[in-house]
Amino acid sequence: MLELRNVSKRYSSIPAVENVSFCARAGEVTGYLGPNGSGKSTTMKMITGLIAMNSGSVLFDGKPIHDDLMAYKQRLGYVPEEPYLYTHLSGAEYLVMVAQLRNLAAKLAIERIDGLLRLLALYDDRHVAISAYSKGMRQKVLLAAALLHNPDLVLLDEPFSGLDVGSSLILRSLIEELAARGKVVLFSSHELETVERISSHIVILHRGKIVADDSIERLRTLMSLPTLEGIFSQLAIEQDTVAISKQIADLIHA
Amino acid sequence: MHSPLNIEKRQFRILYKTFLLRVVDLELLSADADTSRMLGQFAALFAGLSYLFTFWVIFSGGRFSPDFLWVMEHFLIATTMVVVGLFSVLCWESIFPDRSDVLVLAPLPVRVSTLFRAKVAALIAALSLSILSLNIISGLVWPGYFSITNGGGYLGMLHSLVAYWATMLLAAGFMFGCVLGIQGIVSQLLPRRQFLRLSALLQVVIFFLFIAVYIVEPSLETPKALVAPENQRLLTWLPSYWFLGLFQQLNGSMLPAFAPLARRAWAGTAVAIVVGGASVFMAYFRMMGRIIETPDIVPGGRRANLRLRFGTLLQTSVVLFSIRTLLRSRQHRMLLSFYLGATFAIVLAYLGTSLRLLNLLHGAAGDTVDVSFLVASIWVICFAVMAARLVISMPLTLRANWIFRMTEIRGVTDYLSAIRRAFFMLAAIPAWLLMAVLFLLRWPTWQIAGHLLLLALVGITVVELSLYGFHKLPFTCSYLPGQSKVHVVFWGCLLVWVPLVAARFEVRLLHRPLSFLCMVLLLASVAACARWRTIASAKAAEGLTFEEEYPPELFALNLLQNVGVPLKSSDPVTHS
Repeated sequence: MLELRNVSKRYSSIPAVENVSFCARAGEVTGYLGPNGSGKSTTMKMITGLIAMNSGSVLFDGKPIHDDLMAYKQRLGYVPEEPYLYTHLSGAEYLVMVAQLRNLAAKLAIERIDGLLRLLALYDDRHVAISAYSKGMRQKVLLAAALLHNPDLVLLDEPFSGLDVGSSLILRSLIEELAARGKVVLFSSHELETVERISSHIVILHRGKIVADDSIERLRTLMSLPTLEGIFSQLAIEQDTVAISKQIADLIHA
Repeated sequence: MHSPLNIEKRQFRILYKTFLLRVVDLELLSADADTSRMLGQFAALFAGLSYLFTFWVIFSGGRFSPDFLWVMEHFLIATTMVVVGLFSVLCWESIFPDRSDVLVLAPLPVRVSTLFRAKVAALIAALSLSILSLNIISGLVWPGYFSITNGGGYLGMLHSLVAYWATMLLAAGFMFGCVLGIQGIVSQLLPRRQFLRLSALLQVVIFFLFIAVYIVEPSLETPKALVAPENQRLLTWLPSYWFLGLFQQLNGSMLPAFAPLARRAWAGTAVAIVVGGASVFMAYFRMMGRIIETPDIVPGGRRANLRLRFGTLLQTSVVLFSIRTLLRSRQHRMLLSFYLGATFAIVLAYLGTSLRLLNLLHGAAGDTVDVSFLVASIWVICFAVMAARLVISMPLTLRANWIFRMTEIRGVTDYLSAIRRAFFMLAAIPAWLLMAVLFLLRWPTWQIAGHLLLLALVGITVVELSLYGFHKLPFTCSYLPGQSKVHVVFWGCLLVWVPLVAARFEVRLLHRPLSFLCMVLLLASVAACARWRTIASAKAAEGLTFEEEYPPELFALNLLQNVGVPLKSSDPVTHS
């Protein structure tokens, strides 16, 4: 189980995340939602150990992750929000490098890389530089790199970004399958329909604070709203979306 | 409403300004460069050089022998040519339209001819500025002295001044046209993907060629040497002497023997400008479509050997990442070429006359190893490691280093061994092998084998010294410029001076087996100590460094702790 206890992060005294506490259990998919700038990616990076928190703690299987960060990283797979990759390497070279850094035995690594590249439809382009990959292809490389070592905790930050319909459907099923195999899956996305369909537990963040943390059914009942979109709009969207779109059209027309 | 002509003029002005600031590939010199500031710094640097070239006029009191004036004329011409040549190499990527130019500008209502005119105007302006700043002082002072050869007086001085600037402009046009022409011809002959592959190699080769010719070209400035029949073949291949002949012609001080040199300068300039201009013209009007259709892929297409090993898995991944980055990143490759070029220049300059080098190649030096070659070999290995250390410190795609942070599952000492292997593979071993091949081909003796053993130990020591406190994976840590520390300069100077003394000592030891063995043991102990020190420093480190930070200017003294109110670790420390 992944547990966050009163986690806070400030950037030059501006709070990005304040007293965030929630749990993501093994065997279930936790959807992490919030508008742009609400602190989702900051939380994700704190969970990975990439950035330090100002206060609070992150626990995995009951132990603070910073007690043995190296052991924790061995059990963690992460797909970041932005597809930052070493684009001078080919897809295969990048994945082999990640496997070697993760100390994966060569034979096993090659088998898994070949398999993942085939299943993600990257095999034909495996020797092409990542600089020539589309956004969706880069996203698939990130996904393959995150899953290579069979992690126990899977963190996915906007994993559907740039993926085509077929790949999105595969990823959606894959997330469910990973959870069904006992892994902790925490993922953030702006695709509310997908989140609603595959998540058993929802955490909504707004301005760095948690405004909802419950199962989707209970949230629907509590707020008397039929869809996640309605719940999200009520909790995390402050603007009149219709009015703003009208203003934009008026502005360019003037 | 704006007329189409006014719109085009405005577009030209905007594009001209943009291209002018992008003429020199400043990204290649500094990742986050402020372009206008760096151009200013370049101009100041050139003007500083110009001042240096003129500085000794003050000390000499202005009395120069005619022979010295000939040498100075040639030196100023050759220097301007090499600076323009290196400038052209730095402009390499910005001369022809690149993919970003095409993708950004093609959807906009801008004519290709406007783009072409703006680019040419920017190139001419930048080139003129570099020539002007390089000769801003020397180009005003020295023509006064050169007028001695054309009769002197105010008219003679004016004549010299015009001849000087015209020669410099023509020489610069020749160099720039040559680089443009080579690049243009290759780009027209090859498919774009192959051109992109070859282009990087060509850039480095031309860079080295300019430096090598500038340093190695013999001193033939006297009229006697210039007309000597044995030098005529060599002069055919040395353009700086063509322009010396041209200057003499324009200055009105030409001897009949220089006429062929001047003729070659005129013909060479005409050909270079025509070919260079035509290739730019063709690039703009023929290549635009081809650029959009072909991606700018450097690697790829070839099957990579995914089972290649360089030790443990970690060592293999770090070494392969380092090699691939260095081979595929234009910025790092050029930086390394620059440092190696500087090493090459220092070594060649030390080996002094090209004659000593020619003796080596043609076997006229006898069977005894010259001590200067031993010094040169030590310098090569030391500077190669230092160059690698400098280049490796520069990051590539800093934001992509999260993968190394995420996969940091071992201690710093494990990473240190991988980084050490990368240093050996990238710098120490290639430099040592080069020296071994050159030396053993020329002097296949036991003494040379002994020297190579000592050289290997020196290489190991220098690698260990470079790794001390260096807890960064190659190309992954942010870089803060201006962090040169006094001790680095000190060790750098020591690396220059110590081999000069040590090699003389070594030559004597190479003939005494027992003393030589003592020397080997001593150097091995030094290498072992350096290694122990590096490992101890790595053991004390908390983790790898991925971000360099300026040292805080204000330190928290934690005075409150003394009165029983501890500061929390999360309390911010204010830095001014």
